[in-house]
Amino acid sequence: MSVVGVGGAEVPVDVREAVDVSVIVPVDAPSDSLVALYREFSAPLREAGLRFEFVFAAYAWLREHTQPVEALARDGEPIRLYEVGHGVGESTLLKLAAERCRGRVLITLPTYRQVEAGALPLLVKQVEEGCDVVVARRFPRVDSIVNRLQSWVLHRIVNPVSGGGIHDVACGVRALRPEVLGELPLYGDFARFLPLLALREGWRVQELPATVHPKAMAARLYGPGVYLRRLIDVMGLLFLLRFTEKPLRFFGLIGSAALLPGLVILAVVFVQRLAGQGIAERPLLLLGVLLTTLGVQAIALGLVGEMIVHLQAPRRRSYRLRGADAPPRPPTRE
Amino acid sequence: MTGSEVFGETAPPMAPSSAPQLSVVAPLYNEQECAALLIDAVRQALDTQAASWELILVDDGSADRTAQIVAAAAAADPRIRLLRMRRNFGQTQAMQAGFDAARGDVLVGMDGDLQNDPRDIPLLVAKLAEGYDLVAGYRVRRQDALLSRRVPSWVANRLIQWITRVPIRDNGCSLKAYRRETTERMHLYADMHRFLPALAAATAGARICEVPVRHHPRRHGASKYGASRILKLLADLLTLGLISWFREQPLRLFGFAAASALVIALPFALGTALTWRGADGAAGYPYVFPTAALVWLLLAGYLLLLGLVAEVALRRARDAGREPLPIVVERVP
Repeated sequence: MSVVGVGGAEVPVDVREAVDVSVIVPVDAPSDSLVALYREFSAPLREAGLRFEFVFAAYAWLREHTQPVEALARDGEPIRLYEVGHGVGESTLLKLAAERCRGRVLITLPTYRQVEAGALPLLVKQVEEGCDVVVARRFPRVDSIVNRLQSWVLHRIVNPVSGGGIHDVACGVRALRPEVLGELPLYGDFARFLPLLALREGWRVQELPATVHPKAMAARLYGPGVYLRRLIDVMGLLFLLRFTEKPLRFFGLIGSAALLPGLVILAVVFVQRLAGQGIAERPLLLLGVLLTTLGVQAIALGLVGEMIVHLQAPRRRSYRLRGADAPPRPPTRE
Repeated sequence: MTGSEVFGETAPPMAPSSAPQLSVVAPLYNEQECAALLIDAVRQALDTQAASWELILVDDGSADRTAQIVAAAAAADPRIRLLRMRRNFGQTQAMQAGFDAARGDVLVGMDGDLQNDPRDIPLLVAKLAEGYDLVAGYRVRRQDALLSRRVPSWVANRLIQWITRVPIRDNGCSLKAYRRETTERMHLYADMHRFLPALAAATAGARICEVPVRHHPRRHGASKYGASRILKLLADLLTLGLISWFREQPLRLFGFAAASALVIALPFALGTALTWRGADGAAGYPYVFPTAALVWLLLAGYLLLLGLVAEVALRRARDAGREPLPIVVERVP
């Protein structure tokens, strides 16, 4: 994967400390006006007296949309633009941009509007007061009932696992300390669930109520493909949060749900056969066989998962200590 | 590891030259009543013996004042160290964090709730010196409720023993002593602390023995175990069996399973042969037998393929090669 930067290479290293806030904008879809986004969201940061930079990470094929931003950067605005060759996903764009940020506090900003720009300085303030991740929560939700309904469904699914501490997981406007991103399993579309992943690593995650952006009021409905993708993402997330260390508990649950009824059916059919009843014409036998084999398959798959986890154990630690910014490493033998 | 990685926010870093001989590790979760008592008890138990020691207390994301109490003690006594987890990661992870931070050649793990008696530590350590890699305590006159704790625990221990063939009576007792070589070869994840001796035997080739230890009723705080753990335990036991018996040859396990599926397919194939009415079939021919035979055959094939996947995973992990081979002791020169 190649990353081409504009506007970043010339900045000397000693400027690093001179930036308070890096605003990361991952651009993974055509976006009509990134310049307007920049102007709108940089204004409150400037007013608050914060030294900031905007870091755009965009797919190369979106050049048409990023060109105006590049022009701004060349005019001396604190903007850097990185182009990534492949369709690597929003999470990777975020990560690539974060690695190149200089700010003490990072803000992630989607290209679409969710909350009003005035929230940004407040988010930064809360991080500087000692929080690791601060999520803007669209509150009060005055946008379309359609949007709120979708959000409600999402949180119904996610809350039992996350503990319900986050009320607006889907809001992409977040401020965080740079260390947080370093160890999060950010790939695919998991950036969407960044607060939940951060909670899992033990970071302090808080919310900040923010006014819904006027442009975000209208109802948003997507195609069925989008919802299917989201559903798969959420399922992946639930598995990641709960079962990465114990896959057999997940597969075993599914497996025994099929295996036990299957065995019961087979036992019943067996007894009936002994009693002289013919079984060859009845599909019940087939149902029993199918359920039993399905259960065995699921459990066998879980065992392979357990084996992989066990083999990985010498190389990874899943606990995190306070005061340590890097994940712990198993002791290396000399 | 640098100081900032290992130590909590408050513990002062120590020079590596002052590494103690004995490291005692205890996880604490909301134990503000016990913490100070525990520190005193350990100090009293270990000060009478010659070996230098450290006490590593792992605060597992307590919501109460546990961390502050330990931090104060650590500031006053450099032998006491505090590790603070970012959130509650569970006993297994806390134990592993303590093991990773320990610097002694001998490690002792114990509960943070004062149910174990620190006065037993020297006994375990002495036993270790007789030539064992892991000395596990077993609780005599256990001070827990009979029906809710002791009976399930007895059943679980028999199951663990039966599956792993490691003759340990009391897997639930946290008080254990280890050689450093053993803890470095063991890697705890999920709920593995419950099966520590079995895991040590399977993965580190540890020589294991048991000694009786004292057991006190809980004096403060509430017991942190839930009641509905049976299904989880069963899944864990299955994993443990896999690790104990097939970690070097997973294909064998899946091969056995595939062979069993084939054996089950046989009677259905026989039924097919007996009811066969030509390849064209006939009106009203029962398709149940051939279909069932095929399903079992499919399962056998699937299991074999899965076994191959497991072999690939094993090969790749071994090629990455970080895991040391089991301990070898030369007895007769």
